Amino acid sequence: MATKKKKKSAPRAVIVSGARTPFVKAFTQYTRMDAIDLGVAAVRGLLGRTELPWREVDSIIWGGVILPSGAPNVGREIALDIGLPPSVEGMTVTRACATGLQAVTLAAAAIERGEADVVIAGGGDSTSNAEVKLPQKVVHALAPLMLGSKGVSPGDVLGVLSQLTPITEILPKRPQIAERSTGQLMGEAAEDMARRNEIAREDQDAFAVRSHHRAAAAIASGRFDREVIPVETEQGLVHHDTLVRADTSVEKLKRLRPVFAKDGTLTAGNSSPLTDGAAAVLLMSEEKARALGYTPLAAFRSWSYVGVDPADQLLMGPAIAMPKALERAGMTLADIDLVDMHEAFAAQVLSVQKMLASKSFAQLRLGRDEAFGEFDPEAFNVHGGSVSLGHPFGATGARMVTTVANELHLSDKQTALLGICAAGGLGAGAVLERV
Amino acid sequence: MSDFLVEAGRNPQMRKAISALGLPLSLPQALARPSGPWTEQPLQDKNVLIASPGGALSEALAVALAPMGANPWVVAYDDASLAPFAGPGEAYGRPAKGIGLEDEIDVRPNALIFDATGLTQVSELEAVHRFFRPRVRALARCGRVIVLARPPQGPGSIEAGVAARAFGGFIRSVGKEIGRYGSTANLIHVAEGAEGRLAAALRFFLSGRSAFVSGQEITLTDAVKASEPRWVRPLEGKVALITGAARGIGAATARAMSAEGATVLVLDRPADDGPASQVARELGAPAPLLFDITDPDTPAGLVEALKAHGGADIIVHNAGITRDKTLGRMKPDWWDLALDVNLGAVVRTTHAILESGALNEHGRVICLTSVAGLAGNVGQTNYATAKAGLVEFVRRLGAELAPSGSTANAIAPGFIETRMTAAIPPVTREARRRLSSLSQGGLPEDVANALTFLASPGADGINGQVLRVCGGSFLGA
Repeated sequence: MATKKKKKSAPRAVIVSGARTPFVKAFTQYTRMDAIDLGVAAVRGLLGRTELPWREVDSIIWGGVILPSGAPNVGREIALDIGLPPSVEGMTVTRACATGLQAVTLAAAAIERGEADVVIAGGGDSTSNAEVKLPQKVVHALAPLMLGSKGVSPGDVLGVLSQLTPITEILPKRPQIAERSTGQLMGEAAEDMARRNEIAREDQDAFAVRSHHRAAAAIASGRFDREVIPVETEQGLVHHDTLVRADTSVEKLKRLRPVFAKDGTLTAGNSSPLTDGAAAVLLMSEEKARALGYTPLAAFRSWSYVGVDPADQLLMGPAIAMPKALERAGMTLADIDLVDMHEAFAAQVLSVQKMLASKSFAQLRLGRDEAFGEFDPEAFNVHGGSVSLGHPFGATGARMVTTVANELHLSDKQTALLGICAAGGLGAGAVLERV
Repeated sequence: MSDFLVEAGRNPQMRKAISALGLPLSLPQALARPSGPWTEQPLQDKNVLIASPGGALSEALAVALAPMGANPWVVAYDDASLAPFAGPGEAYGRPAKGIGLEDEIDVRPNALIFDATGLTQVSELEAVHRFFRPRVRALARCGRVIVLARPPQGPGSIEAGVAARAFGGFIRSVGKEIGRYGSTANLIHVAEGAEGRLAAALRFFLSGRSAFVSGQEITLTDAVKASEPRWVRPLEGKVALITGAARGIGAATARAMSAEGATVLVLDRPADDGPASQVARELGAPAPLLFDITDPDTPAGLVEALKAHGGADIIVHNAGITRDKTLGRMKPDWWDLALDVNLGAVVRTTHAILESGALNEHGRVICLTSVAGLAGNVGQTNYATAKAGLVEFVRRLGAELAPSGSTANAIAPGFIETRMTAAIPPVTREARRRLSSLSQGGLPEDVANALTFLASPGADGINGQVLRVCGGSFLGA
């Protein structure tokens, strides 16, 4: 696995740089850009920033959650659209909200296995371009007309029409973020977690406000300039994330109505919004990076992907995955300088934190004697997270890796722990160390 | 063999019509039975109301219920009542809510659990009344009442034993009162040291797997060394021999055990090759074992067949026959045949298997006796004699097997909708069906579920006992 062996022959994958588009609200500036266009913007930005010779790129490992059905291998399409040499092969992975991290760890694994030296990994999604699907019933009914080899007789058409009733069954389905196995919406699952872990509305709002303020500070200070690249749209250039509200406050968030349950605690203010965007990370073998004159920022010490019962606490995965990743790295929480967690919902982050701080949780769910521990708020999501920045599903993991790798480098910290919850009851954890 | 009244009861219009016409029919509640194999959280989001006045089992209950997905509501007798529930509640996101003894809750509880291990004097039995009286009518349909006590013959005082025994009468009566709503009541005696075995038993008795088990007492002890319980695919890697598996209860058991991961060896008479093969094929099981179990060569042949599969972990003696005649009219061959199939062959084959070492460690031997064997039936002197003998057989065998981590138990089905009961004349059949507290017959699946539970690794607290799957059909005068 990812745990590094001290063998001379095994190369180490290092993170050299990362770039992302500004994250914007769905159905705003990027409405006309699909997932491939956004990926092109991020990867092109990364290539420009790093001045990487194109011929050096071995592969693009891309990730997406709402994949365009006409060209699901977004990674390859990006390479072709940019005009990278045809030899730059590409693949596309999907692992719900952990997709971006999955793409990056796959790249690290490929480099450490010696399959590649230079890989661009990342992901992105355009929720504005989620495909509105015709029900399969219509597709199956129309099949004889579309695929029939002989001419279509009026009888065939009538036959098809007779199958297309009642009207409610043939209307296009509205896309929604729901669990396939349980039918539960993500927000309902998080609402359930808030109730079961007794997370108060006030705490969620306070968390959301902090996320916005930290993200706003990062934008204002120029901290994000080294990772966000401007994107050209029909309406002009987009320079910054547009969802961050520097002026939000607990008082303002308090006024919002719950959206997922009548007497619920989750609002638009303390949940991550539907977002368009993409993020790309440049990984190389350490040797190659040094040979090309780059300063490596960070490397993976370990990672871990886990699954829990989606019908239980859907988004608790990080509470299992983060301890596991740390264990694989041979470390404890005390060894960690920075923690970055994907903020699907404030309630979900706070639930996971509560689990990790619980001794009973450690004993009954992790098989450990002592609680995993509490995160130092000053070292946790230091530049905000998905609640404030937004959450283009496939991009988030790559955004987190980029921000944390830069942060390790800039603030002279040594180690960081990442955690991501994902649909399907999945969880991801990873440990990064400064190179 | 569908039950007209149960079917009618499913239909709301029919329910209305019958009550509007004032027909003297009480429509039985269709029982909630889970479909598919065991799940990690059989009680997901169910509300369970718990009372443990000075009881010793709070901790075991807390640890058992949270992973099952239950939301616990705990009667706060004192400051310490909720404490054991805090940790597991936190770990599984199932925080316990404390309620006063008289408090009503705004949801209908799916189960009421009373830990009576703290009641050791007859005068303290009033606590049972105080807890259940205001709540029994709030119990949801197909709900569960569970009383937990120490075994009456345990080390406590005479009065403690009397109290523990007394709950038997309580749950059998409650079971009859709530049966019309599809609810059941059962008593679990938990010996000291066997607290860890409670979780497995609760998963059965609190879930729909025990839909047709009511009015039962079961004892959990630590006499058999514990094996690691498994809540999902509990029988994975196990080889289960099921006799008479071509049809009815046997076939249902074969399906249930196969669904839990067991390799099922379907055994039936050579004449039933067709249906036996069909069951085996359906389950992707090995070719059926075709034996006449009364044949003197069968034990040896069977041992050989088992050894070819690495021995058996589970043996279900399900094959049985009836040859009904009142005693004065019963010919010797009918007597002999019923005794040999139902008892003689069971004893012979079991001995042969044990002697040859073909029963693996942590093995399970389960016999099917019958409520007829316990209560007696007109025209069934032969059948009841054999079935009653099995009760002692499993008791003795259990003691003998205990050191190897194995158990022997028996299931006593009541009226189950099978080919055998379909042959009973209609009037008698209808009367027998309505005899149970649930006022309906059970399904082969109900017996299969009980057998699967007893065969599972977590059921090692139960040994040498008889569990009736009869819907609480006891007669009292």
